[in-house]
Amino acid sequence: MPSAINPSPTGITKLTNCRLIKDGRIVNEDLWISAKNGKILDSQEVFYAERATADEVVDLGGRLVAPGFMDVQMNGGFGFDFSTVPEDISQYAKGVKKLNKSLVQTGVTAYLPTLPSQKSEVYHKVLPFLAPSGTSRDSSLGAESLGAHVEGPFISPTKNGIHSPSVLLPGFPNGIADVEACYGVSNLPWAERQQDDLPSPIRAITLAPELPGALDVVRELAARGLVVCIGHTEASYEVAGAAMRAGARMVTHLFNAMRPLHHRNPGVFGLLGTDSPLPSSPIASSPSSPSSSALDVSARPLPAAAAATPQKPFFGLIADGIHLHPTSVALAYRAHPRGCVLVTDSMALLGLPDGTYAWTNGERITKRGALLTLDGSVADSATTPGAASKSNNDTAAATKSEEEEEQGERAASPGSSAASSPGSSASASAPDTPRKPAPRIAGSAVTLVECVNNFAAWSGGGLAAAVGCVTGAPARMLGLDGVKGGLEPGCDADLVVLGGGEDGGGEGGGAGEVWVEMVWKFGRRVFVRGEGGKEGE
Amino acid sequence: MPLQPRANPLCRRLIIREDPDAASTYIADYIVERINGFEPTPEKPFVLGLPTGSSPVLIYKRLVERHKKGDISFKDVVTFNMDEYVGIPRDHPESYHSFMWKHFFSHVDVSPSNIHILDGNAPDLEAECAAYEAAIRAAGGIELFLGGIGPDGHIAFNEPGSSLTSRTRVKTLAYDTILANSRFFGNDLEKVPRMALSVGVQTVMDAREVVIIITGAHKALALQKCIEGGVNHMWTLSALQLHPHPLIVVDEDATLELQVKTVKYFKSIESVASGLGFGQGLPATARASSRKPLPIQTDPATIAAPKSVAASGDRRRVDSILQSPTTAEELMRAPTPELVPDRMSSRIEDGGVGAGVGIGLKGLVVGDLENERMGARVGV
Repeated sequence: MPSAINPSPTGITKLTNCRLIKDGRIVNEDLWISAKNGKILDSQEVFYAERATADEVVDLGGRLVAPGFMDVQMNGGFGFDFSTVPEDISQYAKGVKKLNKSLVQTGVTAYLPTLPSQKSEVYHKVLPFLAPSGTSRDSSLGAESLGAHVEGPFISPTKNGIHSPSVLLPGFPNGIADVEACYGVSNLPWAERQQDDLPSPIRAITLAPELPGALDVVRELAARGLVVCIGHTEASYEVAGAAMRAGARMVTHLFNAMRPLHHRNPGVFGLLGTDSPLPSSPIASSPSSPSSSALDVSARPLPAAAAATPQKPFFGLIADGIHLHPTSVALAYRAHPRGCVLVTDSMALLGLPDGTYAWTNGERITKRGALLTLDGSVADSATTPGAASKSNNDTAAATKSEEEEEQGERAASPGSSAASSPGSSASASAPDTPRKPAPRIAGSAVTLVECVNNFAAWSGGGLAAAVGCVTGAPARMLGLDGVKGGLEPGCDADLVVLGGGEDGGGEGGGAGEVWVEMVWKFGRRVFVRGEGGKEGE
Repeated sequence: MPLQPRANPLCRRLIIREDPDAASTYIADYIVERINGFEPTPEKPFVLGLPTGSSPVLIYKRLVERHKKGDISFKDVVTFNMDEYVGIPRDHPESYHSFMWKHFFSHVDVSPSNIHILDGNAPDLEAECAAYEAAIRAAGGIELFLGGIGPDGHIAFNEPGSSLTSRTRVKTLAYDTILANSRFFGNDLEKVPRMALSVGVQTVMDAREVVIIITGAHKALALQKCIEGGVNHMWTLSALQLHPHPLIVVDEDATLELQVKTVKYFKSIESVASGLGFGQGLPATARASSRKPLPIQTDPATIAAPKSVAASGDRRRVDSILQSPTTAEELMRAPTPELVPDRMSSRIEDGGVGAGVGIGLKGLVVGDLENERMGARVGV
């Protein structure tokens, strides 16, 4: 009875001696992944049914394994800006490719390339390059676009942030036709497509629901499978609730570029206090239908809203220590833990040295660590009273960051930037804060893993919950649960192996900081810290 | 003649340890030693019979620990599992496939082509059982069968009343087994499988060595019935009394129903042997497949003992389904030290008894009894 040794490679890798971050818990389990189909395997089934074992066993020495991080709001990085159209458009494609390879080294395996408000021609030119790039399942391409996030230009001119006011559009007098005209119908999911065409470039749209005709458009976009995000808006609680009922799914960078919470009008933030939870499966499904349908692996149409009470939205938080006070992060998370999605809102300067850089429309951005500010800009406190107080806080945090920034570390190096130091911003509202005019924050230069560290320290939810906010939650938001953001069999084998995270006793912020040790994309190792990466330590 | 017991090819061993942990560790270490002593190769693998259930969990845990320490490889170990439910999916969390994967196979280097578990979803269950017996035969018979027992003394799914000469077959579960198992199926009796595929008592007895773990006070009566009572199909493990090389490892709790003298006797055997520098290992002569006797197991008496007995005996047992495992040749026995009132041994020492039991059983075991036999057992 000779035991047959598998002569042909199975393409299977077994990760062992590791701690998996699964559904908000940390469990000691092995993980089997396949480089052949790029997915996480049901190891037991592979063993018994296919009589196959792993080609390679990787002993991770007790390290944490998380699903690959997902960033649903990312404007650029590593010197490349999704909104800048080069003379030679082929350079744009090269730039995207280069960014993907750099981005994956930060643990982000899938993302939504995000375009702040632009002229219509920019969308027409660049969106075709931002279409979902995972169809070939080629791990050598690095991070995978899940489709573009167009943030604007259908946004409020008074909550424009650093979006250029000149390009904003006032509303939807012609309904969905205005959307098609702005972005180009070929960039939308309902465009006619040849079989071998790439999927629809646009995945998500941020708009202000108070604009004329917006609610009908929200209804239409949601029905056609787009993720509608509420953001850059003056919407009241009521208008925001109406948008949710119309099918909106997410709030773009909660607290920022919207009215603040007021006790007599809770604004967009008030959506987090509504009763009915956001369904993760369609509400309409009859109770008698088999429960397995909710576990269907393929992407499915996003559930349509039907309830009288607005559903709780998913919401993006920029946990960089600059955009949000730690307490605001904890407050939002505790109001609706399942909806919390951490985003970076990172700009082209992510991963570049500090300094002043040219930006679009002839403006300039100064980078100091994770902080980016628009040169010469001052928050308009007359029209945006909420923004003024926010900006003061922002300045305080920024000042503190500058002080700690003396070490001059790259944002990409693990656990080194001021933004990832939990105490830095918490103590930032000290009385000695200078009251000079506050420059506008111009996105961030923070990595997602730094946001995870910040969030773990601030939210009280611990590391596993923080990881859930960059994996399971964005996947659910995009209707990709069972495909991305999980470690269950059948999910794509996009993984991040994290160093650090020593067990601090579970609950609370006891867990130490983590950094990216290793990244796997579609079942193949694409990054190992210290092996040709930028990490210097 | 103080060394005589070690030379006895009919060593029957009852090892008593303080708690389940210690008992499980003893067995796991014993298995590691046996496999390593066997020096398995791809051409001559070690064939291991394996159980499921709560009792062996700690044994698997310890085996995995030893494997991770590098003490043992299961690459050239062929495994046969005792049983599997009929009609539940292979990946059902309560399936024995899942159990083995979770507790053992996923943690060691056993080759998937070397493992055998009955397929409870096979289109032809009887053919599946026959093929299983054939596969065991093709593998050269089972070298060591590890097992546990239920509180009613059943081994595998050989419920009380099962034939002691039974082979792998479809079994209907006893009603109280279904009741007991319902806790694993959401306390819903409807969801508990009604049938299982199981190796027979004879399949286990054919193994060259049988190692049984029994822990906990709730199994004390079963232990008592199985080693102090007679060979009886109502306590199927009692068939072990007819096996030449059984090893039963128990914890203190499991001995509660045993006579004090039984406990003392077996303890004294172990202490005497270890006092003389011997463990309770299998005599080298019984290691039919070993290419050479283990140095630590050798002693002059062993070498003097007949060598071909076990090997020839084993082959014969594999071929003959109904034949009693004991033979006159194997019944040669040296005196035990002191403490003569050894009930099991004395029963076997009389060659006529073994044969008599075999004959007697034929009348008893026309077929497996139906569920109502559980009522009968209550009176026992």
